[in-house]
Amino acid sequence: MYSKLYAKSAVMENEMRPLSTGSPEHVEVVDFLHLEAELLDDLREREWLSEMVSKDVVYQLPVRETVERARGRGFIPDTYHLNEDYGSLNAKVARNETSFAWAEDPPSRIRHFVTNVRVRRDETDADLLHVRSNVLVYRTRQDQTNPQILSGERADTLRREDGRLRLLRRVVLLDLTVIGTHNLALFF
Amino acid sequence: MTAPTLTPRVEQLMNQIETGLDRGLIPASIYGDPQVYQTELRNIFGRCWVFLAHESEIAANGDYVVRRIGEDNFIVVRDEQGSINVLFDACRHRGVQVCRADSGNTSHFRCPYHGWTYNTTGELVGAPLWRNAFGGMSKEENGLVKAAKVDSHHGLIFATLDPSAPSLRDYLGGMGWYLDLVFGLDEGGVEVIGAPQRFVVDANWKSGADNFCGDDYHLGTLHRSVWEIGAFPVPFRENMMGYHIQASPGHSLSFSMAPDADEPGPKFFGFPEDVAERFTSGNRISPEQLEIARRSRVFVGNVFPNFSILALPMTEDGAKHAPTGVLTVRTWQPKGPGQIEIFNWFLAYKSMSPEQKDRAYRAGLGTFSVGGSFEMDDTEPWITVGRTGRSVAAELLDFELNYQMGMPGIGIAKPVDDWPGPGITYWTRYEEGVQRNMYRFYAQMMRAPKGEWPKLTFSGQ
Repeated sequence: MYSKLYAKSAVMENEMRPLSTGSPEHVEVVDFLHLEAELLDDLREREWLSEMVSKDVVYQLPVRETVERARGRGFIPDTYHLNEDYGSLNAKVARNETSFAWAEDPPSRIRHFVTNVRVRRDETDADLLHVRSNVLVYRTRQDQTNPQILSGERADTLRREDGRLRLLRRVVLLDLTVIGTHNLALFF
Repeated sequence: MTAPTLTPRVEQLMNQIETGLDRGLIPASIYGDPQVYQTELRNIFGRCWVFLAHESEIAANGDYVVRRIGEDNFIVVRDEQGSINVLFDACRHRGVQVCRADSGNTSHFRCPYHGWTYNTTGELVGAPLWRNAFGGMSKEENGLVKAAKVDSHHGLIFATLDPSAPSLRDYLGGMGWYLDLVFGLDEGGVEVIGAPQRFVVDANWKSGADNFCGDDYHLGTLHRSVWEIGAFPVPFRENMMGYHIQASPGHSLSFSMAPDADEPGPKFFGFPEDVAERFTSGNRISPEQLEIARRSRVFVGNVFPNFSILALPMTEDGAKHAPTGVLTVRTWQPKGPGQIEIFNWFLAYKSMSPEQKDRAYRAGLGTFSVGGSFEMDDTEPWITVGRTGRSVAAELLDFELNYQMGMPGIGIAKPVDDWPGPGITYWTRYEEGVQRNMYRFYAQMMRAPKGEWPKLTFSGQ
């Protein structure tokens, strides 16, 4: 699924139109994404991880380069800024719980803006929903007045586990090649 | 030859370095003064050999990447004959950028303005309606401008803009022995995994270089969180055991090593045992180099000015994966006195299995990267070093930074007489001579007259 995102026109290749914004699945997904953003904005990272993320999660942020149009969108295969599973995400959450996580202590002010949510059913597995959304992360550190802004798309797969949706896969496709923030000590 | 004209402020700061170093003092203003920075672009980045790329990034003929010398873009391209060229990315006609992608494969570079077209050796091969426009004009004299010298060492490609520069081998001097020890350990050499990650930090380039000369002491405070989550296996106090080495003027490094050769713990920077079994001495490295690598838990070093190397055992998830050897190289690319763009590459020994490379890559990404548990803390203090460097207070108060650790009478570090490698060596890493070595050479380069070079060897060696 996500390898298609590297292709020139993922939407055209995926014939299936997203579900209506009035569909129960869409409503459920939007509720999920809003709650997720609330937990992350409130620095309740432990709750986000334990309540909303699947133990089988794959969470990636690929490296992007400026390339000629014929080569596509510039995401370099198998090359990442972040390539996480549940254990490594847990290590990051645990790190922020120590008294020595200087990068985020004092913490940044971080806000997630999530828009353009598109939900598609999986063609074979009824427990899976494929979700694309746009995300804008606004962040200030210390007395900064010029915010750090990260804009991108998230290609997620959510899976119903014991009746509740959980994040099974997230690929964050940022709209830049050089990361303009001094670290990525935040969750998308 | 006459000395370059330094502004009075730069002259004063260089004097202050030279007189302050014997007392272990460095003026803070060198981390932010705009005049200092302009001099650095010309006298440091415009003259020294700087790292650009690894040969594995441009393996096929026609492959190219765009990299920086100072703030300026250069195309690093493998031509149709397989040779590597380093071309200033500016059309000879109007100075327009001719390469507009970060990487790719091509037979030519065409300027988007009027269509001047160059091949991969940089030769001008044509332009539209050539006979009408330029018939009779020399193509030979209008190729892309090249770096003055290009050379590589273990596939690491360096270039210099100074035709009077010594050879790369002479420039590296004693540091070459230590680069051999890391990059020449395995017969097949190393390769880059993927492409470099790039990120911008509001810091001065010297903070990164200074740190990688061997600032081991900061681990205990700044990186304390990584022990709490089990990312690094050697406790702070034990990790301070090892050697600090001024390999040759400007270039410094550090090894973490247990006092006893047979002490348990990571060997060969934590690379897996079946990989390490293939590490042998022979025509690449000597038995002494192999033994140093065997005993080493960590290698960290900086090739002056801005190329840093790190090898050490790491894990992104201490609960699930034991630490494994990670090899990263990075450049601290200047983007003004108060900003750097960090290029961060992960490397693996070519002979490692795909699974081992993936494990090392994940461990590296989780620790020494823009989102890594080690590196995300490093950039925090460097930002405020730059702020102090730019401050009027530092200028008016003559604010100096303390580099006295390990000087006579301070701490426990002692010179070592029987070290088998080149350079000036201290036992235990409670020592800042490695950084003083960088700043001593830095001040000499800043002052060196055009065409002349400071001494590249220590007296007596």
